[in-house]
Amino acid sequence: MDILVCILLFSGLFFLTAGSIGILRFPDFYSRLHPAGKLDTLGTLLALMGLALFSLHHFSLGALLTSLKIMLIIIFVFVASPTATHAIVDAGVRAGLAPWTKGEKRR
Amino acid sequence: MKIIGLIITIITGAFLVYAAVDFPAWADPNSPASTYLSPYFIENSMKDTSVPNFVTSLLADYRGFDTMFETTVIFTAGLVCFILLRISGGKEPETRHYRHVLTGVTVTLKEGRKIPASEDFERIDDLWTPPDLIIKTGCRLMIPFIQLFALYVIAHGHSSPGGGFQGGVILGASIILLAISHDLRTALERMREKVVAILCPVGVAIYAGTGTLCLLLGLNFLDYSALASVLHVDPISARSHGILMVEIGVGIAVMTTMIWIYNNISSAGKYNQGL
Repeated sequence: MDILVCILLFSGLFFLTAGSIGILRFPDFYSRLHPAGKLDTLGTLLALMGLALFSLHHFSLGALLTSLKIMLIIIFVFVASPTATHAIVDAGVRAGLAPWTKGEKRR
Repeated sequence: MKIIGLIITIITGAFLVYAAVDFPAWADPNSPASTYLSPYFIENSMKDTSVPNFVTSLLADYRGFDTMFETTVIFTAGLVCFILLRISGGKEPETRHYRHVLTGVTVTLKEGRKIPASEDFERIDDLWTPPDLIIKTGCRLMIPFIQLFALYVIAHGHSSPGGGFQGGVILGASIILLAISHDLRTALERMREKVVAILCPVGVAIYAGTGTLCLLLGLNFLDYSALASVLHVDPISARSHGILMVEIGVGIAVMTTMIWIYNNISSAGKYNQGL
């Protein structure tokens, strides 16, 4: 059980780190939103799943309730985060920002 | 005129700084607040009001006057936004746009022309863009849960962080989210301007009315133990219930003020085409 929690937490951490590096390193607005939307969501999901499993360590009704609440957070993050990223990209497109193409400078 | 304002601001600021010198130092254990006030609230709030979260009992009971006028300040902010920005009446624009909901065809009407009375047409703005399906669906999924959570925050202020102000802001945010994800017209259909403008003072009136009820029942203004005879409970739980009544009033006032301010600012007071 502990090993599973560790794996989940560390993979969550890995995805969050990769997402932060991606936000810093990608060349323009749209491509930066790519790690921000995908990796952050996945990292948060994995880390929270690890926490939900961890709280079941000593099984009781209260621990189960805590886990269920964390699962609810997971569901809402899973719905809200991609929707928000989509809304930001949509706003960029509607405002007329052209996407970056190969050979251009970083912006 | 600007210079006079500047001088007044500077003088007032100087007075404030001068007065602040007399305050006890930050986190001074010997200051009057820390020697007898805070320990009293920490030790006795459960005994006096049977509210486990003593921040709530402090805010809505011991310091009820302050919170009442805070609510009034918020109401005034909403009212000022309305008075400054709202352009009422005004001319109808010469051309109006309607959209046939079933087919998505847009109809532009010149002055004076009318569409056949039917439910299939909805009025749209000059700058109308089709609301994005993903955003719309995502927000429609979230909004009921946000509102449920807001009600929970209002009702659960007694035993956990929360209360009328926080819950009211979350409730207002859910309606604002509807306005952002669809458009202002859709949000106004759910929460009409009149409803907002009536509910806002009603929230303040619930607070002040609870206080006045206590006064009429023979005790001090906002002394909720007077409600014991009305609610048929002992005076201590009456204070707890009184706090809940007051929180509901605060929640209504804060929610409607948020919506009111958003509606007025986002559409520059015209209520026709906000974000």
